[in-house]
Amino acid sequence: MLQHVYLIPLIPLAASILILLGAKEDPRSPMPFLGIAATGWCLLQSIAIFYGAATGALSLPYGADWRWFSFGATAGGKPFLYDMPVGVLIDGSAAMMLVVVTLVSFLVQVYSLSYMRGDPRFKRYYAYLSFFTASMLGLVVSSNLLVTFSCWELVGFSSYMLIGFWFERPDPPYAAKKAFITTKLGDLGLYLALMLIFCQVGSFQIPQIREFVARGFMPAAAATAIGLGILCGAAGKSAQFPLFIWLPDAMEGPTPVSALIHAATMVAAGIYLVARCYFIFAISPVAMETVAWIGAITALLAATMAMVSYDIKRVLAFSTVSQLGFMMCALGSWGFSAGLFHLTTHAAFKALLFLCAGSVIHAVHTNDMRQMGNLDKKMPITFFATLAGTFAIAGIPGFSGFFSKDMILERVFEHDPRLFAILAFSACLTAFYMFRLVFMTFLGQERDMDRYLHAHESPWPMTVPLFVLMALAAFSGWLLDRGEFFTRLVHFEALPGQAAAHEAAHAPAYLTWYVTAAVFFAIYLAYRLYGGSNFREAESIKRRCAPVFNLLERRYYLDKFFLALVGLGDQAARLAFWIDSEVVDRFFVDGWGLLMLALARLCHLFDDNIIDRSIDGTGGLSVSLGGTLRWIVRRGLVQEYLLWSAAVMSVLTLLTLPAQRYCLGASVGLGLLAILTLLLVRRPR
Amino acid sequence: MSLGHYLLLGAALFIIGLFGALTRRNVIGILMSIELMFNAANINLAACNSYLHPAGVAGMTLAVFVITVAAAEVVVGLALVLAVYRNSATAYVEDFSLLKG
Repeated sequence: MLQHVYLIPLIPLAASILILLGAKEDPRSPMPFLGIAATGWCLLQSIAIFYGAATGALSLPYGADWRWFSFGATAGGKPFLYDMPVGVLIDGSAAMMLVVVTLVSFLVQVYSLSYMRGDPRFKRYYAYLSFFTASMLGLVVSSNLLVTFSCWELVGFSSYMLIGFWFERPDPPYAAKKAFITTKLGDLGLYLALMLIFCQVGSFQIPQIREFVARGFMPAAAATAIGLGILCGAAGKSAQFPLFIWLPDAMEGPTPVSALIHAATMVAAGIYLVARCYFIFAISPVAMETVAWIGAITALLAATMAMVSYDIKRVLAFSTVSQLGFMMCALGSWGFSAGLFHLTTHAAFKALLFLCAGSVIHAVHTNDMRQMGNLDKKMPITFFATLAGTFAIAGIPGFSGFFSKDMILERVFEHDPRLFAILAFSACLTAFYMFRLVFMTFLGQERDMDRYLHAHESPWPMTVPLFVLMALAAFSGWLLDRGEFFTRLVHFEALPGQAAAHEAAHAPAYLTWYVTAAVFFAIYLAYRLYGGSNFREAESIKRRCAPVFNLLERRYYLDKFFLALVGLGDQAARLAFWIDSEVVDRFFVDGWGLLMLALARLCHLFDDNIIDRSIDGTGGLSVSLGGTLRWIVRRGLVQEYLLWSAAVMSVLTLLTLPAQRYCLGASVGLGLLAILTLLLVRRPR
Repeated sequence: MSLGHYLLLGAALFIIGLFGALTRRNVIGILMSIELMFNAANINLAACNSYLHPAGVAGMTLAVFVITVAAAEVVVGLALVLAVYRNSATAYVEDFSLLKG
């Protein structure tokens, strides 16, 4: 089964190409089922691998590499020929991630059958979804960090295409560009980190890099630089502070896409990459602390912003950012299993919440929660699904989020109580804004009669995925946590010489119940403020704390900050342009040209008067010399030629005689010369 | 009889041949003088072979080749002389100045 694991990313890729190129756009086209079938096959394979790993039938990690191409490279000052392989590396976290990605992708594709029905680009939508799935799966299984990076970029590209899917509307293209450029900002750091890894290790293979680090060859400073670079990339992709500004705008895409890409899978790629390169972070306390604090700050800021938003999808987007902050903070606090556990449960309940939001939006055709209300009777399935997701994310005991968040909080408490305080407070805020969402959307009085009357329960392709995810949101935490199953499957094998005890938490058990009590209090507050049909109390609080609300609604002015940054860049570019055209061009380029012209004139004079004349002189000399020689031999007498050659030969012979024979040779030669001269003087006829 | 005697004989023969080649007016005479020079070289070859490498035959063999080449050269030379004589009815080299530049 594992031998053919490389097919898992390749089959959705083939499906995507087939869908995109193989058929015309047609609302009744069977092409979407091709995408669903491909993803379904991958889902079955992934579940088989996961099951095999869980029962111990498969030994992980499994790795296989195939040669791709070679290039000459230099690492550590030594040149060598690098055989770049492309390969797969399946460990516990990859097996888990495969199931998460394929499951959510499968359900979202089924859901989209109904949600996107009648869209003019129905087929293309499925091609993009399959392409996204393929890239994401490639990212998950690849053993080569450079291939992982390529898939990472392809994932970003798919996200760009899908956010801007409805490009006729004014906002989506803008949001797509914003998402793409913001994540590229982070990818810059990731790319530098990869180059640094290659400079140090001379390989992109994760097992080799791990070996290198395990033997202690990696200096701590390099590990810190690499860790911060990877964190930079992860902060872009996983929407961490300060690069999370793109995720709320990414909600302009179709809602199932938001569920798949911007909630459950792609945004988890950053977390996954940090986990995949965890051994580098493990030797750099600085990088580790940075990860933890960035995560905590993100969790808090995003949670506060979610409290004031009225757009149902924006609330969920902020909540996603916040939960990703939880995961990041857990990873930074040595909670490897805890972070990935939360990633798994979060994927289930956040996909569920987004699909519920999609169902609601499908029914009432608006994102604004102020125009909803009292929908629980009209859409009971959606209502209960949302409740299950909300219970899970808020951490109600027994639901999946409770187990994973509990694990994170214990871990973080062990590591640093300050981080724990931030996360616990964020957890309470999470409960508050999620129940606010439920109360505003489903309970109370209907506030917009037209929309209320139009509302209806969604058709089966939309509700079946809700049922599946509802079950997972409710039970997956309990199932995976039972007997420490998840920790056994997905854990970080400490490098030699490191304490392996980081995973074992010793936080007091009552912490969990304190946090849970606080969460229930937050839920009560939400009920007091938003449980009724009018939000008089909430409005009055909002009026009294206007500056705070303003700050939150403007998202801490981070968008403004980045725009100002871009503006600053623009000004700097203008200045650089001025310097370039006025100083560099005028003085250096033009001045250099004039200097060269003068020099060239000088060269021309020299060439004309000295070089050319000397060449002419050589020619003239040859002509006159030739004329002289011709006068000497002009008579055409064979014997004279012979005489000349004999004379030259005798002179040469004389010169080559050894020294002791010089007298004899000289007398013979001189005698010869005398005879020859006599002959020469004698003029025949 | 040492090697030096042979070499002196060869040198004398060569000088005589060279003198003949330079002074004879008749082309036939010049060809005969050239033959003398060839044979001076042959004497040297044979003498060096038997004094310096008594066991070897390389010098003798080369001498045989020289004799062969000389015969061929005389054939060509006499043919040329015949052809020139038919055209200009003379065998004196100073008259052979048709190609004078």
